[in-house]
Amino acid sequence: MNKYQTDYTDTLDSTAEKGFVKYPRHESMIMKGNFAAAEAAKLCRAGFIPAYPITPQTSIVEQLSEKVSSGKMDATYINMDSEHSVFAAAMGAAIVGERVFTATSGQGLFYAHEVLHAIAHFRLPMVVCNVGRPSIPWNIWSDQSDSLSQRDTGWIQFYGESSQEVLDTIIQSYIISEKLEIPVMVVLDAFYQSHTSENIWVPEQSLVDEFLPKKKLTGKEVNAEEPIAIGGLIPPEHYEKFNYAFWKDMNTVENLSTEVSDRFEKHFGRKYQNVEAVNIGPHTKTVLVTMSSLSTTAKGVIRKYPEVGLLKLRLFKPFPKKSVNEALKELPGDAVIACVERNFMGDHFGAIMQEMKRALYSKNYTMYDFYAGVGGKDVSPITIEKILYKIRNRSSADKVHLDEVNWIDIEN
Amino acid sequence: MEPLYDFVIKDEKVHPGALSCRGCGWSLLVRHLASIMGEETVYVVPASCFSIIAGPYPMNELKGSVVHTIFAAAPATATGVRAALDRQGKKDVPVVVLAGDGGTFDIGFQSMSGAATRGENILYIVNNNGAYMNTGIQTSSATPFGAVTTTNPGPGYKKTWPKDLMGIVGAHNIPYAATGSLAFMEDLRTKMARARDTKGFRLLMIDGPCPPGHKTDPALSITIGRLAVESKLFPLFEIEHLNYKINHYPERDCPVTECMKLQGRFRHLFKEGNEHIVKEIQEHTDKTWSRLLALEKIGQTLEATV
Repeated sequence: MNKYQTDYTDTLDSTAEKGFVKYPRHESMIMKGNFAAAEAAKLCRAGFIPAYPITPQTSIVEQLSEKVSSGKMDATYINMDSEHSVFAAAMGAAIVGERVFTATSGQGLFYAHEVLHAIAHFRLPMVVCNVGRPSIPWNIWSDQSDSLSQRDTGWIQFYGESSQEVLDTIIQSYIISEKLEIPVMVVLDAFYQSHTSENIWVPEQSLVDEFLPKKKLTGKEVNAEEPIAIGGLIPPEHYEKFNYAFWKDMNTVENLSTEVSDRFEKHFGRKYQNVEAVNIGPHTKTVLVTMSSLSTTAKGVIRKYPEVGLLKLRLFKPFPKKSVNEALKELPGDAVIACVERNFMGDHFGAIMQEMKRALYSKNYTMYDFYAGVGGKDVSPITIEKILYKIRNRSSADKVHLDEVNWIDIEN
Repeated sequence: MEPLYDFVIKDEKVHPGALSCRGCGWSLLVRHLASIMGEETVYVVPASCFSIIAGPYPMNELKGSVVHTIFAAAPATATGVRAALDRQGKKDVPVVVLAGDGGTFDIGFQSMSGAATRGENILYIVNNNGAYMNTGIQTSSATPFGAVTTTNPGPGYKKTWPKDLMGIVGAHNIPYAATGSLAFMEDLRTKMARARDTKGFRLLMIDGPCPPGHKTDPALSITIGRLAVESKLFPLFEIEHLNYKINHYPERDCPVTECMKLQGRFRHLFKEGNEHIVKEIQEHTDKTWSRLLALEKIGQTLEATV
C-alpha cells in the first residue's frame, strides 16, 4: 500500500448507522442529479423554460420537456437556437414577470456570458442550473471553471454537495432571487452528480407551495398597458446609482441566505448553511476547503484524522466572508488552510484560494492551494490523503515537496 | 384636389423629440408603425440607431413599451416576452422587434432564424440602411456592392454583394415577409397593417435612408428611396409561405445610376475608368429583378396547378 494511502471504507458515512430519517410530506426516490434539478424546477412552478442541449446538462431539459408535454407541469417550454438565445429568452420572460428556469453547462454558459451580465444588471430574478464542465479542448467532465469564471457577472452562486442539496437549494434560491431581484446559479458536478443516482427526498408539491408561493408581479414588469422603456442608454450620472443599489442588495445576500436556510430547515427538516464546518475547533491543525461532491469524499477521509477539519463552501458568490470567518473563529493561528480546486482560472491560485485569501486577509494562516480533479479527474480518498500527507510532513526530515500551489496528481 | 392617399398621421403614437439625424428613416418608419400597432405594443430593440433614437434613460419616444436588449438576440428576447405575455393572457399584445441591418443580417441572424423557424408570434422590422450606422458607417453584410464605408474605404470599397435576406427569410416558410419603402407610404402602411393582422413570424424590411452614412442630402431621403424602387435596387415585394408577389413594377426604365449618383458613398464609381463597375451593378440589379419575376411566376404556376 502506498504510504499515504489508507483503507477508507470503514470511514464512509452510513445512513443505516445514523438511523433512517423519514421526512414527513416527502417521497423517497432514487434519482440522478439532473432529474432532481428538473424535479425542483417543477416543484418551484417555473413557468418559462427556454432550452438548449449540452452534455452533461441535457437530461435536465429533456426531463422538463417531458414534464411539460405530458401535462405534469404548467410551463411554456421552448427549444431555442443556442444558449445565448436561451438566456436572452429567459431575460425577456423575466422582464414580463414569469418565473424562469433553465440549465446549461460549460461552453453553453460561456456562450451566454454576455446575457448573464444583462440579466443580473436588469435585476431579473431567475434560477438556473449549471452542470460544471471546462472549456475547449473538449472535455465534458466535472470541473467548476465554467461557473467560477462567471463569478463577476452579478449572479449569486450556490454549489451543491449532493443532489438533495441541489434540489433543496433551487427551492431556496427562488426565494432569495425574487426577494432581491438578483439571478441565482445553482451548480452541480458533471457525472458525479448529474448522472449518478442518489436517494433523494422529494417534497410534496403543497409543502413547496407553502414555502415558495406562486410568483407575484411586482409592478415593475413590462405589462404593455402602462408603457415603460427599460434598458435604454444610461448616462454616467445615473449609471452609478444602479450599481450602488445592486451593491447594497448584494451585501445582504449572505444574511438572507442564512435566513432562508433556517426557514427551510423549519419547513422541510434539512439544514443548510452558507458554509459547512466539520471538525473545526481549537484542536484543528489543518482545514480543507472544498466545494461540491468532493466534499463528501474529503469528509470521509478526515474522520480518521482528529486534527483535520473541513470547510465546505455552499454559497460562493457573493463570497460568504462573514460565514467563513465565523466558521474559523476557533481555529488556531498556526493552523494550515488547504484549498482543493476543481477549477483553473488561468491564474496562479485557483478560485477558492483567491477568495479565501481575500476573506482571511489580515489573518496569518498558512495557506496552500491544491489543484485536483480538473477536467473531471476523480478526486478519490487517495488524492485527499496525499494532500494531508504533504501538509503533515511538510517540515519533516523526509523533505516532502510542498509549494504554496500544488498540482497534487502531477507533481510529487 | 384630394390626395390619392392620405398618410398624415392623425393620432400620433410617438412623442415629439426623436434623436434621429435629419433625413433618417427610422423616425418616419416608427411613427407610421406605431400609429398602426397602437399603444399596447411591446417593442424589443437590439443595439441599433433606434436604441438611441428611442431615447436615453429615463425617456421613451414611443407611446408603447420598449425593451432594450443585447445586439445578438432581440428575437430571442422577444420570444421570452411573447411567451410571458401569452401566459398572462395577453395574446393580443403585439411584440415587435425594431432592428437594423447589422442586428439582422449579421449578429442577430441566428436568433432571427431561430424565431422564424419556431414560428414565434412576433413582428420583425428591419430598417436596412446598409451599414453599421450607429457606430459610424461600418460595412455590414447588407452593405451594397460598390459602397464606401469606414471599413471599406476609398479604393477598398465593398466588392461583395449583400446577403439576400428576404430570400433566406422567405425560405423559412413564414406567413408574411415584405419589403417596404418610405417613398411608397400607401404600400408600406398596407403591409404594416397586414403584418399586424397576421399571426406567426412576420418580417418587414424597409429601405432605410441615412444621410450621414450614404452621404446624401437629408432633403432627398424620400426621392432617393423612390429612385431605389424605380431602379429596382430595392424592389417592393411580399413573400407569403414561399410565394413571391411583386408590389410595384417600375413603369419607366430607370438606370441604377439615377439613384446612386445622389449618394456620396458611390461617388468614386462615377470617376473615369470605373464605368465597368457601374455596369456590373446594373447587370446584377437586372438579373436580380428577372429572378424576382421568375420567383413570382413559380408561385403563380404552382397555385394554378394545385
